[in-house]
Amino acid sequence: MAEHAILIVEDDSTVRELLKYRLGKHYEVYTATNGEEALQEIANRIPDLIISDIMMPKMDGFALQSALQADKNTRVIPFIFLTARADEPARQEGARTGVDDYITKPFDMEQLLSRVERLLERVEMFQSQLDAEIGRDFSNRLLPDSVPSVDGYQFHFHSEAHEQGGGDLFDWTETDEGSYFLTIGDVMGKGLRAKFYAYSFLSYVRGTLHTLLQESSSPAAVMKHINDMLLDDEVLEDTFASFLLMHWDPEAHTLTYANAGHCRPVLLTEEGPEIVEHSDLILGLEASASFSDATLDLSPNTALVAYTDGLMELPTTNGDMLGEEGVLEVTADAYGSDAPLEALQDAALDRSNEDDFQDDILIVWLQRDA
Amino acid sequence: MSFDVESHSSDTVIVHMGEALDFRNADEFKDTFQDHVEDGVRNFILDFSDTEVLDSTGLGSIFSLYREISPEDGKVAFADVSRPVQVVVQLTRTYKVFRQFPSVQAAKEALA
Repeated sequence: MAEHAILIVEDDSTVRELLKYRLGKHYEVYTATNGEEALQEIANRIPDLIISDIMMPKMDGFALQSALQADKNTRVIPFIFLTARADEPARQEGARTGVDDYITKPFDMEQLLSRVERLLERVEMFQSQLDAEIGRDFSNRLLPDSVPSVDGYQFHFHSEAHEQGGGDLFDWTETDEGSYFLTIGDVMGKGLRAKFYAYSFLSYVRGTLHTLLQESSSPAAVMKHINDMLLDDEVLEDTFASFLLMHWDPEAHTLTYANAGHCRPVLLTEEGPEIVEHSDLILGLEASASFSDATLDLSPNTALVAYTDGLMELPTTNGDMLGEEGVLEVTADAYGSDAPLEALQDAALDRSNEDDFQDDILIVWLQRDA
Repeated sequence: MSFDVESHSSDTVIVHMGEALDFRNADEFKDTFQDHVEDGVRNFILDFSDTEVLDSTGLGSIFSLYREISPEDGKVAFADVSRPVQVVVQLTRTYKVFRQFPSVQAAKEALA
């Protein structure tokens, strides 16, 4: 976490240096001797908080504060006025919008420090609440409200977003022929930025699918388009994503997929679990990357389980991560259960010291009835 | 903590990746390679001998490096890859892009 930056605006060098010294123990402090200088400093770097004297040459504290209020980029910076007792009439004038606190000189340093701390805490709390709210909003938009309902098949889906989590996404579309396109992905990075990219991405994939499905139902062809777009689009520069695109045909009982560096799904049959191995390079890395399709036959009682890395990266009791081998075990444990996703999560958490997942997890379980 | 970078030649450096490259220090890694790219370095040998953690944000920062130097024929090589790093590289199929070497020495010889 970066240190908070505080700008001190004060013409009296003794007071200025004292404040710089005391606040400098906890924060990154920079200074200006009047309002004009302060505006120049702020143009270079926006502080997290400003402490300003009122009476100063060239541009006084009131003029500075008014100038900051007029600009939307600086309006929200917490602002503390230092006022001399003799300035009491001025202080009355200072009772204006955008001023968060007044400290009367000669001031008690401990009191000032605690007010600064409280103000910064308040701002930070507000910011993190806002982030969490936006994050939840994006997460919800990245996930469907319902799942496909097809006779002869069970379809289960579970996802859980956590604040520290990134951009897991899942989407499905029904084609005109009664088959389905399933998209599972993970956009690299953590937090809001990843969620935002995942969101813009998913809109793109939806749009692309619509167009491409007119010509071809090849997941690999869609994958190639997404890769090109990641590499060409300047806004999405530095964005990487793993994707699993699947074309599921419940009539033919087949599932054709392309995998771009995503966690490899598990295929469960009465013979036991196996990793669905075929996969290609992650998206956004190389323009010349090629992608290919592979097809699985879904015989009765076969289940396909796709997931994101939050499951694989679950820390286990032996200090390792659950890993692909662990995922094979827990899916096998859950196979045959009436509520396979609950059983799968319980089996995974049994192998860990955690009561719950810390990272985002997303699991899709598609099973043909007996 | 900053990254330990060793210069091998005018256009090749060895970066000792340390114990972890993840969301906590990925930006720092980006700053580190950026300085060297500006100085004309084109080949990066990443020493993963001590690395226990490589998460997707960390891997993303290596991808950024690759995308920046590959148009100028730069290379990113992975040396002495630990097991946790190997798992990530396998999963994302990035061994197709990053050449791997059993040791830093072997990577130096191959890139020379």
